[in-house]
Amino acid sequence: MTRFIARRLVGMVAVLFAVSVIVFVVFMVLPKQNPAQSLAGKNATPLLVKNIEEEWGFDDPLPQQYLTMMKKVFTGELIQYEPRIPVSDRIVEGIPATFSLTIGAALIWLFFGLLLGYLSAIRAGGWLDRILTGVSIAGISIPVFLLGPVLIYVFANELEIFPNGQYVAFGEDPGEWLNHLILPWITLALLSIGFYSRVVRSNMLDVMNEDYVRTARAKGLSERQVMTRHVLRNSLIPVITLFGLDFGATIAGTAIITESIYSIDGIGLYAAEAVAKFELPPIMGVALYGAFFVVLMNMIVDVVYAYLDPRVRLGESASA
Amino acid sequence: MKKLGALIAVLVLAAVASIGLASCGGGDSADGGDGQKGGILNGTYASFPDFMDPALSYTAEGWSAMAEVYLSLLIYKHAGGEEGSEVVPGLAKEMPKISNGGKTYTLFLRPGLKYSDGTPVKASDFPYSLERMIQLNSPGAPFYLSIEGAEEFAKTKQGPIPGIKTDDKTGEIVINLEGPRGTFVNELGLMFVALLPKGTPIEDLSANPPPATGPYMITKSQPGKGWEYKRNPYWAKANGKAMPELPAGVIDGAKITVVRNDQAQVDDVERGIYDWMQNPPPSSRYAEVKENYEGSQFRVEPAISTYFFWMNTQEPPFDDVKVRQAVNYAVDSRALERIYAGQLVGSHQILPPGMPGHQEFDLYPYDIAKAQELIKEANPSDMDITVWTDSESPNNEAGEYFNEVLKDLGFNTTFKALNADNFATVIGNLSTPDLDAGWANWFQDYPHPNDFFQLLLAGESIQPTNNYNFSQFDDPAINKRITELGREQLGPEQEEAYHLLDEEIMELAPWAPFGTRTLSTFVSDEIDLDSVVFNPTFGHYLSSFEFK
Amino acid sequence: MEGRGSDAGRGPWALALRRLLRNRLAVVFLGVFLLIVVFVLAAPLWADEVAETGPNQEHTVEQITVDGEKKDVVTPEGKPIGPQWFGAGGKFFLGADGRLGRDEMVRLMYGGRTSLLVGISAALIATLVAIVLGLLAGYFRGWVDSVIARTLDTIWSLPVFLIGLSVGIALAVGGLKIGPLELSSGSLWNPILIISVFTVPYIARPIRGEVLALSEKEFVEAAVAQGAGPSRVMFGEILPNLASTVIVFFTLMIANSMLFEAGLSFLGAGVQPPNSSWGTMITVGVELLRIQPLLAILPGMMIMLTVLSLNIVGDALRDALDPRGKARLDAALQFEAQSGATRPVGEASLS
Repeated sequence: MTRFIARRLVGMVAVLFAVSVIVFVVFMVLPKQNPAQSLAGKNATPLLVKNIEEEWGFDDPLPQQYLTMMKKVFTGELIQYEPRIPVSDRIVEGIPATFSLTIGAALIWLFFGLLLGYLSAIRAGGWLDRILTGVSIAGISIPVFLLGPVLIYVFANELEIFPNGQYVAFGEDPGEWLNHLILPWITLALLSIGFYSRVVRSNMLDVMNEDYVRTARAKGLSERQVMTRHVLRNSLIPVITLFGLDFGATIAGTAIITESIYSIDGIGLYAAEAVAKFELPPIMGVALYGAFFVVLMNMIVDVVYAYLDPRVRLGESASA
Repeated sequence: MKKLGALIAVLVLAAVASIGLASCGGGDSADGGDGQKGGILNGTYASFPDFMDPALSYTAEGWSAMAEVYLSLLIYKHAGGEEGSEVVPGLAKEMPKISNGGKTYTLFLRPGLKYSDGTPVKASDFPYSLERMIQLNSPGAPFYLSIEGAEEFAKTKQGPIPGIKTDDKTGEIVINLEGPRGTFVNELGLMFVALLPKGTPIEDLSANPPPATGPYMITKSQPGKGWEYKRNPYWAKANGKAMPELPAGVIDGAKITVVRNDQAQVDDVERGIYDWMQNPPPSSRYAEVKENYEGSQFRVEPAISTYFFWMNTQEPPFDDVKVRQAVNYAVDSRALERIYAGQLVGSHQILPPGMPGHQEFDLYPYDIAKAQELIKEANPSDMDITVWTDSESPNNEAGEYFNEVLKDLGFNTTFKALNADNFATVIGNLSTPDLDAGWANWFQDYPHPNDFFQLLLAGESIQPTNNYNFSQFDDPAINKRITELGREQLGPEQEEAYHLLDEEIMELAPWAPFGTRTLSTFVSDEIDLDSVVFNPTFGHYLSSFEFK
Repeated sequence: MEGRGSDAGRGPWALALRRLLRNRLAVVFLGVFLLIVVFVLAAPLWADEVAETGPNQEHTVEQITVDGEKKDVVTPEGKPIGPQWFGAGGKFFLGADGRLGRDEMVRLMYGGRTSLLVGISAALIATLVAIVLGLLAGYFRGWVDSVIARTLDTIWSLPVFLIGLSVGIALAVGGLKIGPLELSSGSLWNPILIISVFTVPYIARPIRGEVLALSEKEFVEAAVAQGAGPSRVMFGEILPNLASTVIVFFTLMIANSMLFEAGLSFLGAGVQPPNSSWGTMITVGVELLRIQPLLAILPGMMIMLTVLSLNIVGDALRDALDPRGKARLDAALQFEAQSGATRPVGEASLS
């Protein structure tokens, strides 16, 4: 197990390195002008541009700029362009909002995904199954940036039940915190509920057809015992691993569109604004933070999967 | 089964715990009071200013946010419309005495002024603040390089600047320029040279704004999220007494929240969740807001700006004046007024209304037949052009309109839309290929016509990067006029001359200007609309907001 | 009505087709998808004959005659005209698209061409690349597999949307030129390539797993024993057995790619003007949601219907091509887990 974890940590470093290089190349190599020109403003003189280049090191050769930037990442000195504040401050400030959005939505989609999938599976082929499957597939077919504004229009503007965006810190007002998050949670969760319910459904159907389930029934176990002891446990394992990965991805700040639509001051919104302003430091910060979380969750998921599924655990020592 | 159950339980507990912990961030007590007079204004901006540091900010949001917090030696009259374009004494006692052929400016600091932390304001704070601004490589630095020795200072960052001499005892400030500069009075009124205490750190203070000299001070700044104002205690005690013409303000403070969704802003102001939105309503809501609230909660405000299509005068096909004139005839302001949903007033000239020197004229009323005739006469050799625009709505639609106009005139166009933050940098970089024609706009820095002509249309302003003379217009006679007029102080004679310059340049048609943009004031029904003052350069004055 | 006994003796593809056709839902939605394809292909026909205008032609200051009355295409306040159906002879059937006064119906059809083109191309390229990578990794194993698996891992671990967004914006600003290869800033290849790159791991992983499982079967051993070289084994023996997985994933990935493109276009990093896609149309429509909700709902419904149809058909294909295919897929995925690999990031990453 420790060897496994050690290997994955090495892999994580490799991934973070790759991410940093890719982001750097995209922002520094692809465009044909350096950031000094946009920082110099409307009234710039060549002298001002040159001074800005010197101040930020934009006149250094690219590999050196990369190394300087990486050093700043580690010392926490990575500064964004406008205003010149540390990127880490903004990321840390954005964590409560992103975590609130992500964890809440994740719990919702997990719960409803399991529920709908379970109902579909035990009534497989029936009208309930058909309806739920239809709803599920419909759910994953809607673009987020259409669903969000429509929900806002209906529930926030016309019916005035919920506010139309913004994030209120839990410490400031727990009631408002919840109030402001409900629509974003629904928007974010709706997409995944469909996906998860289908996965749960198909996994459960597979397991229910397996021999050992038939054996359990033949042995005389009640349907409830069959379900809880064998079916659920075995069908949930892949779901939990999938959930872990999705959760990691979403927490990594990739709920960019949802955060943008609802103006939720999280890491995704910070990233979206940085991309629009074409600023490298925040993007580098968010990308590394994001990649770190994704790889971390991948690792946790693999450990959990190995732990829960004895086939894999036993298989590991037997494989080449 | 037990293992799985336990696992799920642990995960859920961990999740709930982390939500609780993670969300317990940054709770501050919201000041909600809305007493009779006084009260706290709840405002919203669509974006956080580029900087919350007076030496660095160069956007409307920044200037609007800090207008009544940081004062310079001179300021703009706290009024709206044309009155608000007048430069008047700020921290200085009187307007500067200009001598030595326009090269020497002498001012006196008012005595007894204090910053919001109690530090006395001294004359030597002025060169300190200016030097700090240049050391920060502020985008405003180029305005002040005409001060003797300033350019050397900008290169070496070794001070002090010899061209500024001060005497803290008498409060005297003497500025020597390299040559006469007609716009310098306006530039002394900009926030770049707002006075800050000596010793203010030479770094971006956006997260921790420096002490104020105006009626309000910024007490909390959270970049990206919002900021708060309270009354400057030393305004009532000291500065306000020395500057009685400046209002102390009715509201006790303000809380500004950044709400990026401008539709949400409109809804929230309508519902009274916010008392005021700084930016105009989006085009899709503008007509509705205007119709429902004009006069009671909404007012149109002129913004001194020109929106235009530029054409590269150095390369075919636009090096032929006939082609450029044809384009001017082919652009229909009516279409553009619709594209901007009524927030644009059509015009075909360089100087906008509100700018000294503006007199309305139209050399190219819409005439598509004439346009086509001119094109036929000119018979340009190169019909392949690239059209550039920024991708922010409705500017991108204006660009697409322009694209179609050119297509209808027979050109083969390639259309490129760039996101707003990159747009000026890309089209201002002369090494970008195919800079043939495109959309652009210009909002004044200050109400002096030179601000439009010098940077945008003078030959000497053409530079390899950060070029704003997009047309690369370089007419020697015109260049001479611009430089000459730029040295003189602005008076009725100069205004007439600027108007004639406007006409002369339009005859050569390096641009196809199509309109001037209007901004607006939109407040909730708790605010007295008539008391709100909107200054064309500095936006809404906090001191003018009053609850009903 | 044929009895079950007549299934015997039919080829596997014919059997699959029969199973598919028996799934009424799938047939209906296959029909829907084909209708959509016909709809977008008919764009030039409609534009020339009925609407008499192109997708980019503007009519901002014009008026049309509807039932004898003259109406503004765009009012001076910037409100576009609503659906006219056949009131003006088919012009502005669905109204104007916004302040530029373009024909919404024509744009919907042409936009669909772009959306489908980008979605199908991206899925196709990704599938082809994934097949090659999966075959190489699964057959050769060893260091080849390591390199390929690690690369796929890295792509997967990237904050997909963020990188896609950044690359999209960077390309939109300046384009790209590497030697003879040039991507101009408005090219449709930009979103296609970005989407393909991020879609490859979705498909390559399962294929790799299946190849790993298949290459241990006897028929492969037999082929090798008969002297067949690696490419013959991979492309001649193993590839045909991947067909069902490939078909299913290709179908599902078209849907995925279309949604990805819409997301990129929403943030300005996908399709660039003057091209338009359903994604860009939704973006504009959302802005005008209060004035004319149809402008957002129509392209949104088109994307939904297309993605929905593809998902349903893809699911049905999976059932039809191999009713026990799920078990095979699971086995393939197990192989991966045993070798310490990771699994796909879910669709939440596209939100």
